[in-house]
Amino acid sequence: MSDFHNRSQTNARRSDYVWQYEYYDDEEPVSFEGLKAHRYSIVIGFWVGLAVFVIFMFFVLTLLTKTGAPHQENPDSAEKRHRPGSCLVDIVSPQDENDKAFSRPLLAESRTYFHFYINEEDQGKQKPEEERVRKHSGARAQRGGQGVGSSGVDEMEEEVEEAAEHKPINGLMEESNTDRESAFFSHFNIPNFVNLEHSSTLGDDDLLYEPSAILERQSHSHDAHCDIH
Amino acid sequence: MSTTTVNQTDCPEVKVPVTLFFTIGVVSLAENLLVVVSVILNRNLHSPMFCFICSLAAFNTMASLTKTWETLMIVLANVGQLEKKGSSEMKLDDVMDSLLCMCFVGSISSFLAIAVDRYITIFHALRYHNIMTMQRTKAILGVIWITCGVLAVLMVWFFQSKFIMICFVAFFVVSLAIICFFYFYMFMLARIHAGKIAALPSSSGGKFGRQRWRGSSMRGALTLTILFGAFVVCWTPFFLHLILIMVCPMNPYCECYRSLFELHVVLMMSHAAIDPAIYAFRSAELRHTFRKMLLCSDCKQRS
Repeated sequence: MSDFHNRSQTNARRSDYVWQYEYYDDEEPVSFEGLKAHRYSIVIGFWVGLAVFVIFMFFVLTLLTKTGAPHQENPDSAEKRHRPGSCLVDIVSPQDENDKAFSRPLLAESRTYFHFYINEEDQGKQKPEEERVRKHSGARAQRGGQGVGSSGVDEMEEEVEEAAEHKPINGLMEESNTDRESAFFSHFNIPNFVNLEHSSTLGDDDLLYEPSAILERQSHSHDAHCDIH
Repeated sequence: MSTTTVNQTDCPEVKVPVTLFFTIGVVSLAENLLVVVSVILNRNLHSPMFCFICSLAAFNTMASLTKTWETLMIVLANVGQLEKKGSSEMKLDDVMDSLLCMCFVGSISSFLAIAVDRYITIFHALRYHNIMTMQRTKAILGVIWITCGVLAVLMVWFFQSKFIMICFVAFFVVSLAIICFFYFYMFMLARIHAGKIAALPSSSGGKFGRQRWRGSSMRGALTLTILFGAFVVCWTPFFLHLILIMVCPMNPYCECYRSLFELHVVLMMSHAAIDPAIYAFRSAELRHTFRKMLLCSDCKQRS
């Protein structure tokens, strides 16, 4: 009996540690006398706290998005005017005469996300992030067949599709800032903005089944944009 | 400690039906295996980001496999085919525990790696390809796997020591904090930039752009909530269980919480099952590869 008791003590200690296997064997004889609160109070309290935390986090995030509205500053925004050549879509027609380095890789990069950043190359004062992302896209483009894609491309794709669908975007294209705008729309989908998995499959028309509609629209707008300048 | 063998517990253990374990295990195994195979087969996905996602899926695969196997062993033990206290069974149990431990630490490390990778992509985009080369990625993955293996063995050998459990819990909390910081920082930066864009006075689509900005940022908020919320909801109950074991082993309230152990394990397994949906399946390239693999079973070459 003592052996059993010793073993049960050991097992009682181990039973909580060894996940599952010995857990069924022994239960600790815990006294349940004189409980003031409900016996599952820790459980209820924990889950309520967790739910409140998640909902609170979601509301904080959405509140940030709603109230984080338009700052009036941006002094260098007025200086950021695109040179005429910065066309929106270099995918279908690489007319980005400002930077030949990007023209070919942009064909490879069928994702339209970073073309917004590519148009910023000529601006003197850029936000460091934009520069980085721009050069990043260029660097990535130069890697050719490597896809840097991330998970969660879909939201970005949807963003770009939305961007392409809405008419005003055509008007927006004439300004550099609006390019950044759409880029940041895509940028905004937090874990989902980095996507270049399409970049490596030049000529793989399978991958273009999604962006094809976008490309068509944007090539139209691109042509219009380029014509304006 | 009371010598009574009569258990007066009012909180009986909540038993989860074995079929639920098996179902979640098999589903999780299938999904994660699919992710691993797709990433390996498709050359386009040989990039740091997808390597980390693949590593996460590999850890989840191992965890599902081990858990399913353990469930099977328990079923057999309950039926009577296996002896619960036999030495070989105990050793096998230790092996399974160490594998599970390895998978847990590994998947948390993979989450960390994915968050760091995304962070570098956003904030050091210029030098991303210099910072995160494939060699470095492989080195990081090697370090993660080896560390997890060593930690797992140590944890199981020395599990009686509270220090190990404290380390385990501390690792979880620190990882949670780091992941939270990375994602929220990225979110804040994106929001600020998007706000600046929306603030542009002269754009004709300004108002419209603001609406779309809100729409997209709502989606960003939702994504972040899902990502982080799933991680927290699925992992925290188990770690609270560990904390309560250390802090209040004899307290009846803690006992009632601990009686839900199997539910917490089910939660962790289901996190392994929803991980592909959160990380891997969001990529169109990966989905495309799945489709090709599933519809065309002998399309082994370029997907």
